Amino acid sequence: MTGPGGDTWRLPPMASLLAAVLLIACAEAGGASMVRFKLELTRWARSVILARPATHGLVGVRDVDEQIIDEALVKFDASLRLFHLHAEGMGLVIIVTTMTAATLARPGLGRRALLVLLTAGGAGYPFGYLLWGALIPYQGLQTAKVLAEWLVWIPFGGAAIVATWWLAAVAGARVFRRA
Amino acid sequence: MRRPPLVLVLVGLVVIALGETAGAVISQLRPQIAAYAQARVAANPQRHGLAGSAEYDAEVTARAVYAAEAGLSFFHTHAQGLGPLVILVSTVTASLVPWPRARGALYALFGLGALFPLGYLAYAIAAVEWGRDAGIEAVERSILTPLGSAAILGLVALGILLVTARIGRRAA
Repeated sequence: MTGPGGDTWRLPPMASLLAAVLLIACAEAGGASMVRFKLELTRWARSVILARPATHGLVGVRDVDEQIIDEALVKFDASLRLFHLHAEGMGLVIIVTTMTAATLARPGLGRRALLVLLTAGGAGYPFGYLLWGALIPYQGLQTAKVLAEWLVWIPFGGAAIVATWWLAAVAGARVFRRA
Repeated sequence: MRRPPLVLVLVGLVVIALGETAGAVISQLRPQIAAYAQARVAANPQRHGLAGSAEYDAEVTARAVYAAEAGLSFFHTHAQGLGPLVILVSTVTASLVPWPRARGALYALFGLGALFPLGYLAYAIAAVEWGRDAGIEAVERSILTPLGSAAILGLVALGILLVTARIGRRAA
């Protein structure tokens, strides 16, 4: 995808491609692990939850506690699925958007910033779901979500959103100038 | 690889950006979205067949709100998938389809197909504004089916043209 002309794609930086490929590989490994180790993961999460009754609001009444544990386990399972899904998708998004940025944005600080935001934002965001899943048994549903939001989803997701709109504006300006 | 027309790249990028933004909005504003959807269902009681019975109406409202949330979620996932797909298949078209008119037709089909995810935004709105079943059926018939068919037709045509071009090159 290289080429010096205006009508050919330029290759994005190797670091962006590497991040995208590794992210897709992590997603596929995550999907496979979810299936292969489903029972072990569920048992681990359950044991950690049972070891922290106060964190999860367990009251010692089986009917009530099982409902709370079930909800936590459903969210734990969802976090792994969402990691798999988002990592697969964002890998492709990184490749396409960094290729477009490398081709359409003018060389310089702006293009470098775009490439960094698109790569770091896209590659980091899906790992928020892994963090969320890992924190659920230890911190409870609400705290785990807040931590994942502030540590990963908002900074990395925000970077990806801002950079993609910025890139769309760059492409829009090029279309406008040509017209 | 050759770059497809800038307009098509722009459409793909805007669809990706909308998909990412929708994901953030769904995540951060879920309670507000649900409350708005409930209010719109309550504002259109006849279209939703609300009967005045609290238990029945609550179930009908919950189903409509669920459909609206599903529409937004489908919008997010389809936009994230179709945006890159349109840019990639248009690149294949630009690079490997030798006939300008065929390329133009494929670009048009992919451009329409790229708008397919927006149909799910309409789906979410129609589910609460026109009644769940009637709204979803109308959007499926008038937006999702034509736009989705354009994308499918474009991909099938691209496959046929790639094979034809290869046969042509071999014969030459």
